[in-house]
Amino acid sequence: MAEMQNSNPTILNSADLPTRLRPTATRKSEYGGIFTSALPLAPVDFESAPSSDSEDDNLLEEPIDEQEIYDLISSISDPEHPISLGELAVVSLPDIEIKPTLPDVPDSPLQTVTVLITPTITHCSLATVIGLGVRVRLEQSLPSRFRMDVRIKEGTHSTGDEVNKQLADKERVAAALENGALMGVIAKMMETCH
Amino acid sequence: MSALQTFMLVVDHDKEEAKRIAEGIAHDIETRKTTLIDTVQSLGEYINDEDPILRGKAISYLTAIIQALSPKYLSRQQIQVLTTFFCDRIEDGGAVDGLQALQGLDRFNKFLATQVAQALFSNFQDLQSRSQTQRFHVYQLLNDLMSNHRGAMRDMGDISLLGVVDIMTGEKDPRNLMIVFSILKVIMIEWDISNHVETLFDSVYNYFPITFRPPPNDPYGITAQDLKGRLQECISSTRHFAPHAIPALLDKLDSTSPNVKKDALSTLIACIHSYDPNTVSKFSITVWEVLKFEILNAQEEFLSETSLEALQAIAQRLSEGVTEVSQELPLAKYLQPITKECNEQLQEPQNKQAKPAQSILSRVSAASPVSFVLVVQTVVPPIFTLYQEADGIVKQRALLETLNVLFEAAITVFGQWTTRGGEAAIENPLLEFKDQFSDLFGQALMGAAKEEVSFRVTALKGFLHLSTLRDFFQENEIGLFVQYLDEILIKEESVGRDDLKKEAIAALAEVSKHKPRLIVDITFPAFVATLPEEDEGSDARYMPTLETLAQISVERDIFETLFRRLFSKLSVLLQKEQPGSVAYPRAILVTLLYVMQQRNMEQDQSVDLYFDKVVVGLCRDVAASATGKAKNRILKDPTVLDTLGRLCNLLVRSASTQKQEQVAENVYSLFSSAEDFIPIPFSQTTNADQERTIIISTYLLAGVSKDCSNKIPHTNPDMSRLLLDLVHRSVSNTDPATHQAYLRHLALLVNKFLSKQDVTIAEKLFDSLLQSQDTESQSLDPATIRTIFWLSKALILRLAPSTTHILTSLLALLSSPDQQTSATAAQGFSIILGEDDILSATNGATIRLLCRQRLFTTVTPLISSRIREVNIAGTDDSAAAKKSPDHIKPAHLTALAGILSTIPTALVMPELPTLLPLLLQSLDLQTADSVAVRIATLDTLAVIIRDNGVAVIDQCGHVQSLVTRLLKTTSTSTGPGAVNSPRLRADALKCLKLLAMHQVPGAVANTRAPPGISPLLPVKAQVLRSLRAVLDDPKRDVRKAAVDARAAWLRGVDDAPEEDE
Repeated sequence: MAEMQNSNPTILNSADLPTRLRPTATRKSEYGGIFTSALPLAPVDFESAPSSDSEDDNLLEEPIDEQEIYDLISSISDPEHPISLGELAVVSLPDIEIKPTLPDVPDSPLQTVTVLITPTITHCSLATVIGLGVRVRLEQSLPSRFRMDVRIKEGTHSTGDEVNKQLADKERVAAALENGALMGVIAKMMETCH
Repeated sequence: MSALQTFMLVVDHDKEEAKRIAEGIAHDIETRKTTLIDTVQSLGEYINDEDPILRGKAISYLTAIIQALSPKYLSRQQIQVLTTFFCDRIEDGGAVDGLQALQGLDRFNKFLATQVAQALFSNFQDLQSRSQTQRFHVYQLLNDLMSNHRGAMRDMGDISLLGVVDIMTGEKDPRNLMIVFSILKVIMIEWDISNHVETLFDSVYNYFPITFRPPPNDPYGITAQDLKGRLQECISSTRHFAPHAIPALLDKLDSTSPNVKKDALSTLIACIHSYDPNTVSKFSITVWEVLKFEILNAQEEFLSETSLEALQAIAQRLSEGVTEVSQELPLAKYLQPITKECNEQLQEPQNKQAKPAQSILSRVSAASPVSFVLVVQTVVPPIFTLYQEADGIVKQRALLETLNVLFEAAITVFGQWTTRGGEAAIENPLLEFKDQFSDLFGQALMGAAKEEVSFRVTALKGFLHLSTLRDFFQENEIGLFVQYLDEILIKEESVGRDDLKKEAIAALAEVSKHKPRLIVDITFPAFVATLPEEDEGSDARYMPTLETLAQISVERDIFETLFRRLFSKLSVLLQKEQPGSVAYPRAILVTLLYVMQQRNMEQDQSVDLYFDKVVVGLCRDVAASATGKAKNRILKDPTVLDTLGRLCNLLVRSASTQKQEQVAENVYSLFSSAEDFIPIPFSQTTNADQERTIIISTYLLAGVSKDCSNKIPHTNPDMSRLLLDLVHRSVSNTDPATHQAYLRHLALLVNKFLSKQDVTIAEKLFDSLLQSQDTESQSLDPATIRTIFWLSKALILRLAPSTTHILTSLLALLSSPDQQTSATAAQGFSIILGEDDILSATNGATIRLLCRQRLFTTVTPLISSRIREVNIAGTDDSAAAKKSPDHIKPAHLTALAGILSTIPTALVMPELPTLLPLLLQSLDLQTADSVAVRIATLDTLAVIIRDNGVAVIDQCGHVQSLVTRLLKTTSTSTGPGAVNSPRLRADALKCLKLLAMHQVPGAVANTRAPPGISPLLPVKAQVLRSLRAVLDDPKRDVRKAAVDARAAWLRGVDDAPEEDE
């Protein structure tokens, strides 16, 4: 195993990472808390068809937002440490942005996701791999109307421009993804996605 | 032909015959028909033959005779002669076995043992060139000599030591090695090995690490682990090996193979446990220097875990017999470099390396009280300094975490308040810092910004550890902590996921186990004071308080207090003219119910008090309330009655037989003496309020033991009148809660209390209900159908004789031309085996083990063939006259879904080929009212796929059709009238994901990929394309499920099976 480049990075506590707060289970039953176990069953009977899917709820649209993008990529593992990109603060919620791709065409469904990556140290040679990993994860997980823009955050990497050029070049990304060894690394990084 | 010649002819191919011959001769010798000398002499012409095979057979003849002789027969002299004879010819086949038989005899002596050993050592220098079996016999002989004549062997000293080493050197067979290792271990422990330590060590260490893999179908069943265990016992057998073993084992940690490292570490641990403390001490620092890297740069979790175990084992060994702390102790010398390293790593406690440093401190400090003192002395003071200088809360939290690790170790060493015995002789070194800790953690918990949740949670955990640590805090100091917790719970607003509040409740519950008085004295008054007298609004602000009280009141003393306080709140409410919303009294009852469920009420000494107050007292109040004597409507509310009923049910179950009999007698009168309360059965004048008391009666009756059935009113001479009355009430009542209770009451009586010979009463009721069908339209009203199904449930669960008749009658309802009858009946099938709180095993209902199987195997084929009929009739135009109404097929599918949702999949699997087409047809239903059926179908499919993999579906040839239907169900843009709810879409995606994850039945993560091509491959492109569109679903949960399913297919479905190694 090659020598680690940064063997002792700072780690965020996973409880401190941004998460989506679900509305507390108001619709489950009148007792959302611990007492649900005390009164377990709404009696099984004819009338009690599962009505939790109320019509209003079903029609309410939940658009893809930054937190959703964060949830997709924060659980990717760092190739060096078995620690997630979220805990290492390589990706963070404020560094994710979703914008219409064509602001002049209001009806266009096209959207662009911008993700800025902060390597744990400025000379991290794996920054490209991490960038590719994030890109692959997004391409596999987002609908085709989304455009991906994955970049190294300005001033956080010694050869950031070089890496960005590589990540932005479609041909080069495609070529990299043909590389079996590289794809192996990326597949390993994504094993922890949940 | 002589016996010898016959023996030599048959010995190769007929062992039994050969044995018989030898036994015959042995018998002749014992009965003096012939002599041993004659027998030996008869060998004459063969034992000098040039052919070793002939010689061997002749010797075997003698051996076989000796084996057949009775153990007492041979004289000392004869044994001696025979031994010498065999030793001279030891290389001939059979001689070794002969010696083995001889050495087991009582008259075999020490001198002979030495002679045999000598013969073995001098004649078997070339042992390794012989066959495995021959070697095995030699080792067995040696092993027997070692166990039967150990003294003689030991007296041989170096001769036996070197002799054994010589003949075993080069041995490779696992079966032989098992014996060899155990022989060597004895020598290592009992011989004076000082002149040959290295020879002996090398003789076993050469085998390290064991890389043996048993062949498939290995008849001897020796595993690599067996060999590893024996080898490890040898290496760790004597401290003399330490200078060789420990450096060699540490060297092995340079290996690239995790398995080799694992073996080296576990052998090292065995050595640490077995060598004496002085020896361990000599190598302790060397071991630390090497293991440090395994822990700080952990490659594999288990390697760092095992390394930590080794470090702790050293500290434990070095603590043996130590009663006073001193820096001169070998233990102190060992710990110095460790604490130094950890202190350095902890300078930046928020970094990755701090975690392993914490683990190291945790393990070594927990090794013994002395070890704990030494660690605390060097580690704790710098943490205080770092904390004061820390530039951010992240760092401070990491420091608190480090302290928490030490507190946990302190609990291991010094115990908790509730730990019995084992007081440590040494004072807890943390006491010196007690006030500082109290200030630091109090400040962190209460002084930090409210949104710093994880920081405060860490402080809370630390404070909790210290509060439960035995003989540490004073009562008032723990009391302070309890006040902090109360304040957090009562005064603070919710933040985020409320992690802090959850932890605070858990902490109070934990403190309640150790110091219940503090909870009763401090927390109870504070919390109860926040409970309102009454509550009108809908925001239920009392709820969090009640939840907290419920969770901290499991301890007996506290529960009694809780009961008194809440019961008096309830009594006040019942007396009010304007008691506010019924939700509040109900919540009070739920709280009591919750806590009682958590506790073992049968063991509770106060159960009689609770019984009198609740079962007798409140039931009387219910009766009074039903006759209009109450000040308010609380006890007329069906939800309150339901909760109160559950509470009564639990208490009745815990009550004595005598009390249960009282309950049975009062099940309808509800202990009421009031004249105007008319118990329900047979009364003509009851109003809705009075009828509602059936809810309480049902719960009471459910709790009563079967043995009390003769005490139930109106059951003499039999139950027929009572049951008939209940049936009438069931089919006519319209108030939902009351109706529900009547149905269950009826079912309960039929299932639990109706005697075997009286079952026909219920069966007749069933038939008469069915006959109430309107003959023309073949329709039944819903209330009657429900009554029929509940009655069926009661009978089927006890597998009444008419079970098959009942089931076919119920199925016939599905084909009723009346759409409503058919649809209502379809929904009923989920009731039959559905879980129910009244008819439950806990309540002693009669639930036969085979009832599920019986129902499933009876009903499924009938549904299947009926659907086929409908399908055929549907396609066959010419037979249009026979065409069934459209509702019949969905009704059957609904019934099937209802049954499947209540049956374990193990029962379903054998029927899968019949079932799968039906499930697929269920997925073809499109309308909104089929959503429930489709969800149930997807649930069933998910379990089938998860437990059995794709293979079972592939065998039925349905992969393509299943995948297509699942994909259709994930779509939002379906045809007119078709509805896929979000839940349905997400469930279909979950099934797709499970398909990709379970391509091999029972697949565990590391099993091999299936040989050949995955059955999913042909549909992979179709799935990925369709799922891409689902990634844009309007609902977030659906998108998430789509992402997961797509990732599973991208990752898991591959044309080339992956090679694991």
